[in-house]
Amino acid sequence: MSTSHLTPADFQPLQSSVSGQQISRPSLSYWADAWRRLQDNPRAMASMGLIAFLLAFVSVGPYLWQVDPSVQDLDQIGIGPGADRSVTLAPPFQPWLPEQQSTILADNAMGLTLTMPATTQAVRLMWARADGVRYRLYRNLFDPSDTGSFGLPLAELDRSYFEDRLDLQAGTYFYSLVMLDANGAETATAITRTVNVTRVISVAEAVERGLIKTEAEAQLGQELRLAWHPLGTDYLGRDMLARLMYGGQVSLFIGIFAPLAFVLLGVIYGSVAGFLGGATDQAMMRFADFVVALPFLLFMILFKVIFGIGPGESGIWPMLVAMIILLWPAPARLVRGQILQIREEGYVSASRLLGGTTSYVVGRHMLPNTLGVILVTMTFQVPSAIFTEAFLSFIGMGVAPPTPSWGAMCNEGIKSMLTRPHELMFPALLISITVLAFNLLGDGLRDALDARMRGTE
Amino acid sequence: MLKYFAKRIFLGLVTIWFIASATFFGMHAVPGDPLAGDKAMTAQIRANLEAKYGLDQPLGTQYLIYLGNIAQGDFGISFTQENRRVNDIIREHFPISATLGILAIVFAGLGGVLWGALTALYRNRWPDVVIMFLVILGISVPSFVVAAISQWSLVGLNLATGTAVLPIGGWGTVWHMLVPALVLGLSTMAYLTRLMRSSMLEVVSTDYIRTAKAKGLPATQIFSRHQLRNAILPVVTVLGPAIAGITTGGFVVEIVFAIPGLGRYFVQAIQQLDYTVIMGTTVFYGAFLVFMVILVDLVYGFIDPRVRVEK
Amino acid sequence: MSEPILQVANLHVDFQTYGGVVQAVRGVSFDVCAGQTLAIVGESGCGKSVTVQSLMGLIPMPPGRIHQGSAHLRGHDILASKIIDGQDIRGSQISMIFQDPMTSLNPTMNIGSQIAETLEVHKGYSKSDAFARAIELLDMSKIPEAAKRAKQYPFEFSGGMLQRAMIAMAIACEPAILVADEPTTALDVTIQAQILDLLGDLQQETGMAIILITHDLGVVARMADEVMVIYAGEVVERGGVDDIFYRSGHPYTQGLRLAMPTNNQDTEANQTLVAIDGSPPDLFNPPRGCAYHPRCPYAMQVCAEQAPPTRTLGADHQAQCWLHHEMAGALPDGLVSASKVGQ
Repeated sequence: MSTSHLTPADFQPLQSSVSGQQISRPSLSYWADAWRRLQDNPRAMASMGLIAFLLAFVSVGPYLWQVDPSVQDLDQIGIGPGADRSVTLAPPFQPWLPEQQSTILADNAMGLTLTMPATTQAVRLMWARADGVRYRLYRNLFDPSDTGSFGLPLAELDRSYFEDRLDLQAGTYFYSLVMLDANGAETATAITRTVNVTRVISVAEAVERGLIKTEAEAQLGQELRLAWHPLGTDYLGRDMLARLMYGGQVSLFIGIFAPLAFVLLGVIYGSVAGFLGGATDQAMMRFADFVVALPFLLFMILFKVIFGIGPGESGIWPMLVAMIILLWPAPARLVRGQILQIREEGYVSASRLLGGTTSYVVGRHMLPNTLGVILVTMTFQVPSAIFTEAFLSFIGMGVAPPTPSWGAMCNEGIKSMLTRPHELMFPALLISITVLAFNLLGDGLRDALDARMRGTE
Repeated sequence: MLKYFAKRIFLGLVTIWFIASATFFGMHAVPGDPLAGDKAMTAQIRANLEAKYGLDQPLGTQYLIYLGNIAQGDFGISFTQENRRVNDIIREHFPISATLGILAIVFAGLGGVLWGALTALYRNRWPDVVIMFLVILGISVPSFVVAAISQWSLVGLNLATGTAVLPIGGWGTVWHMLVPALVLGLSTMAYLTRLMRSSMLEVVSTDYIRTAKAKGLPATQIFSRHQLRNAILPVVTVLGPAIAGITTGGFVVEIVFAIPGLGRYFVQAIQQLDYTVIMGTTVFYGAFLVFMVILVDLVYGFIDPRVRVEK
Repeated sequence: MSEPILQVANLHVDFQTYGGVVQAVRGVSFDVCAGQTLAIVGESGCGKSVTVQSLMGLIPMPPGRIHQGSAHLRGHDILASKIIDGQDIRGSQISMIFQDPMTSLNPTMNIGSQIAETLEVHKGYSKSDAFARAIELLDMSKIPEAAKRAKQYPFEFSGGMLQRAMIAMAIACEPAILVADEPTTALDVTIQAQILDLLGDLQQETGMAIILITHDLGVVARMADEVMVIYAGEVVERGGVDDIFYRSGHPYTQGLRLAMPTNNQDTEANQTLVAIDGSPPDLFNPPRGCAYHPRCPYAMQVCAEQAPPTRTLGADHQAQCWLHHEMAGALPDGLVSASKVGQ
């Protein structure tokens, strides 16, 4: 830089207006700093929001959506979300007397036809029958030409008519009639018919279900709307949304309360061990090692058996107790390690030298420094607790019907996964979202509370 | 080194004893007579069981009989299947589960190390983002859902191609093993990937890596000899407990894929309240896990010289 | 003086961070000659490590950037490419040892293999030859039972022995320059002396140059031939070790000297330690003018406005300070002026 027009004035002493040491930034306490860093983490904040939403969903939700999760809506079994819920008023079911009906003309060799529009009351089929020939009738939800399978065998007949009343739901069925040979084996001659079944309900039933007030108001052929199930129903006709809410209560209760309890137990055990040190510590930790070695899931199941509860009975409390008894060693060991480490730290000795009593040192210095680790551990244990509950319910050793839980709902949903995927999808989705949220939150907490990262941006 | 292992093996045996005792006393805490109840049990089975376990004897004697039996490797007779010995059940079905489990661990271990190393190498670039997204999915979705969905996809795949590309269930050939083992190992793989990633990132910023760079070593050599070798240590540590997770996850996979393994048998036994099978399998699995943890410790001692020399 | 092996001119290194651009090195120039020891002195964070590490390509170049300057090693321009790979010079022509030997070595490889690595990579030795040579090098570094030690792992060594092993590793390929970044800071005082002696002996034997980065003036006094004082990324004074200690021309150098405790009985016995007020400047926004002016007891108006020119105070002795300008008044006590020594 060129020294441009310097005057003697420039060489006068500089008044130091700047004091020696300046505070460049306000200093933050550990927790304020951690909170600030957590707020800067978008995934962690999103997770917190998600968790808050889920908690609200299961606690406040039932008040907003007041549907009993155990009530079965028999008219709408296994429907998906957004399915058509219209129902037509029709006369009550009349038995079928096919002899009185005229023969329907065949439209091909076997001629499988409907004698009347198919409703949920009955599907009536007729066909042209050759003398002495037996037939087998199948029903499928899927087109046999796609899947190669005729589906559910309904009956083996040597007549020319059949009335299907088996568990009819609104939708599309594929009926297949297969000709049998003399030995009863299936021949290649078969015919498939697509049948659209409409939902109907008699006037008496409609009044009973509260869809219309009196019989007098009813008009045959009138279309009514059945109860709305925003997320569909399960295989017993129970409202999915309500079940998810109540199921969530169970799953989240176990998922959150159990870790809270066993981490607390572990913290107490570990602090005592770490603090006492020496042989007591060694003995306590040896015992903890043994408990850790017990194969967790196997003992969970053993506990349930011990409590005399077999499959088919609800088992929230045994599950909770078992989890607490089996899972406390890990946090105990963690906290003990922390305590041992902190005991050797300079600031603990300094505090003692300055006259701090034991309780002061523990309360003011040791515990706050372990809280971070404890908090992170607890957050990460929630997903495993939820998985554990789901898994146990899945193999039938968790909560049992009619108590819903997300894991049990998955179990039920798997059976009808191909035909009614929503029964599996919704609880699985909720489990995944919850687990995801807690994992991300745990990550965020760990980064925020990690003392080594303080002061780094 | 020898002393290290002698100590571990001794501890392992004590642990197994602890597991067996806990199982025994646990089962005997069940109120009432385990042989009574609504299960139809033939007189034959009842007679065999009473003879075997001395069920009319005081608890202490029963315990000693029980321990004695286990020490000889005898887990007793099934409650619900006439004269079928639990040992035979285990011998028949365990190898299947073990194969499945080992394959799953191999997938999980190799995959975890590979993906974890990749994400650390390409940090914040697209491979990292993609892999971490999949990892998060992997740890969030419950294993039974993954199993069900994968089976569903297999059905769809077979339908679409018109042939059985891969079998959708059962056991027998290598092809039967692939998808179940992959599904079983998936969540562990995700977990190991994360672990490997953070371990690699930690290693990358260490002083000795800086020294290796300062020595002018080529990047590949730094990666393999210095980074990988040190980053893998936490992953190996975790492998032992991970095997426990794979064992229990195996139950689900065996059920969904109809694999005749010990896990599926165990779940059935639970549902039928077949006490001897439950107890025997529990103790057996417990012993197996203890053994695997010791094995992993052995491997770890091989890799990390600090453990070898100090202990 | 012999021909310089390394010539660095006007080096500027900055870092792109989220908070802004950190100007770590702002116009540093120096030469290093064979058989000589150059000490780079300064506070923590003044840019001394970054200077040398950037030459060796040890600074990750996405956040780091050399946006100006040149460096020639034995005539070759080593900053030719934007992103320095540096692999050909690291380890073979310029070696580096670091502050904390306990963490600077791979815990899962034995010492002999770590030394042998450099020989295999740079000199093409076979595994067995390299290992044998490694044992010799450990011996040269005065490690007893070198053959047994070579098979041991870092955690089995003490701090001082590890540093010797690191030195053995650094000289394995007979580098022209050995950079020692605070080599003794983590060691006991007695071990310090041994390590410094070892470095001196090796330098005598091999004729290599040593760049010694330190903040400890005692080490400087013992080892250095030339000294370069860096403050806030700039060279504030450069000269021979005697010049710097007895004839300093910059208030900062003077301040460093006065802050050093001595046991010199006669003259300084009753003097208090004088600390330098204030803290190092924020390198996101270096102050205008002279970087040191906020802490300088002799600061003048011009110091806050314009950067001081470099003045030659003697043979190979320069300082960057307005106090040497003609228009500045009398020099404060203890500082040597340009006029005194002669142009």
